[in-house]
Amino acid sequence: MATLSSDLIWEITRGNSSTLVKRAQSGGVSFSRDTFNLRNKYSRKYEGLVADKAISVQPGQDGGIVVLTKKADKANKPASHIQVSSVPAKRSARKTYAGVINQTAGRNYRSDLRTDAVARASSIRKSQKPVKESPPKKARGKKAQKSEA
Amino acid sequence: MSRPTVTIISGSGEASTDTIPVPNVFKAPIRPDIVHTVHTGMNKNRRQPYAVSEKAGHQTSAESWGTGRAVARIPRVSGGGTHRAGQAAFGNMCRSGRMFAPTKVWRKWHQKINLNQKRFATASAIAASSSAALLLARGHNISTVPEVPLVISSTAFADGAIAKTSAALTLLRAVGAGADVDKVKSSKKLRAGKGKLRGRRHTQRRGPLVIYNPEEDGKELVLAFRNLPGVETSSVYSLNLLQLAPGGHLGRLIVWTSSAFSALDKVYGTTTEPSALKKDFLIPSAVMKQPDLAKIINSSDVQKVLRPVRGGAISKRTNVQKKNPLKNFQVQLRLNPYAATFSKNKEGSKKVEKAKPTRVSDSFIEQVHEN
Repeated sequence: MATLSSDLIWEITRGNSSTLVKRAQSGGVSFSRDTFNLRNKYSRKYEGLVADKAISVQPGQDGGIVVLTKKADKANKPASHIQVSSVPAKRSARKTYAGVINQTAGRNYRSDLRTDAVARASSIRKSQKPVKESPPKKARGKKAQKSEA
Repeated sequence: MSRPTVTIISGSGEASTDTIPVPNVFKAPIRPDIVHTVHTGMNKNRRQPYAVSEKAGHQTSAESWGTGRAVARIPRVSGGGTHRAGQAAFGNMCRSGRMFAPTKVWRKWHQKINLNQKRFATASAIAASSSAALLLARGHNISTVPEVPLVISSTAFADGAIAKTSAALTLLRAVGAGADVDKVKSSKKLRAGKGKLRGRRHTQRRGPLVIYNPEEDGKELVLAFRNLPGVETSSVYSLNLLQLAPGGHLGRLIVWTSSAFSALDKVYGTTTEPSALKKDFLIPSAVMKQPDLAKIINSSDVQKVLRPVRGGAISKRTNVQKKNPLKNFQVQLRLNPYAATFSKNKEGSKKVEKAKPTRVSDSFIEQVHEN
């Protein structure tokens, strides 16, 4: 079954799609709920739904990240068209990013999304770090005088 | 080039070795504009006329009091003895008056749509249902669907095998459409607004559309599927755009029975041969044969008429930042070819070779001090 061209699918879905989140605020921003959208921005370049090749970077089950890619030749087989590969949590940042690139841009797979994929992997890693507790507040003013006395 | 095919999936969900050529209607151009206008028109054709009563607001003998009584000249209810007497009547601004431009039952409720346009829209919606991307964009949950178009062997429906809702649900789950039914089930919400009071209490998503061939699959399956939320059934001989593209949005998840799928060529014909069932209908052909922009740009036809890229692979950069050759070794090398050898031999850190100064000969000193 021949698949439709991405350009045609984009023209059909650019105004209306289940992944599109339109808001009147901030000058009518359009975001995307698509998991294959690395910047969560509803645009021709980033929208993974329309592209036959797209990258998704998601947090892994036990830390680490999962890189999903679409198999271009399986476009009409939804159950088997996603390739999954994961990078464990203990891998260093540099090696994690290298892993993301090796899965994607390094193999001529959407090399235009290289920085976006790495950026997303980076922010996922950052979100997985434990939150550093803020130091206890110093008493100031009258309270400080009271506690001193 | 061989025609593309789809795998027939058995009732238990396994992909069989049988394939079926994709009917010609799937090559129809996908035209959201046509589908949208036809849908808008068709959606109006189920409306029932409504209007306010012809008499509403006029069931009083009010007459204007005229000028001179320091009240507005609007008609006023005559008589006395009740509160109603002397109140303004008739006007749309009056309490108990008639509404402005009372609605009439002879409003234009229905739309005529050209038959050929309707057929174009239907063909277009069928073609769009073969794209997984469009199904996802419509919001169908197809992560478990093995292939689109989803064609199920008609043997699964033979002899009224699917006559019970439980059997129908098992079948949909087996072929991977269960997730979409579950999505519909959990989507049932109370409608916002007055519609709640007008027989439209809940809203819910649309699930898969089961298209069957009544001649071969029988009609028992209609009863089996009808209580599944969001699931609709339709005969392949009477497809409806309102079901194929709900809301005017392309890409409904369709579950075809194999006999219905193969009947499509009979129903819609080809681009050159008129359909057997629709008089004078040819499947429209796309104006633009190649909709892939990248392919057009990279085609040899386009590339050969373009001027070659200036500078080739290495082009001189403009606006480069100036680098300090004393700190940046590569820049230094460009300026001073000897720098490589200089640094390799560590000539920079070598001490100046000098032997101990030899003492000047005594005769020389004598000569200096001669005077």
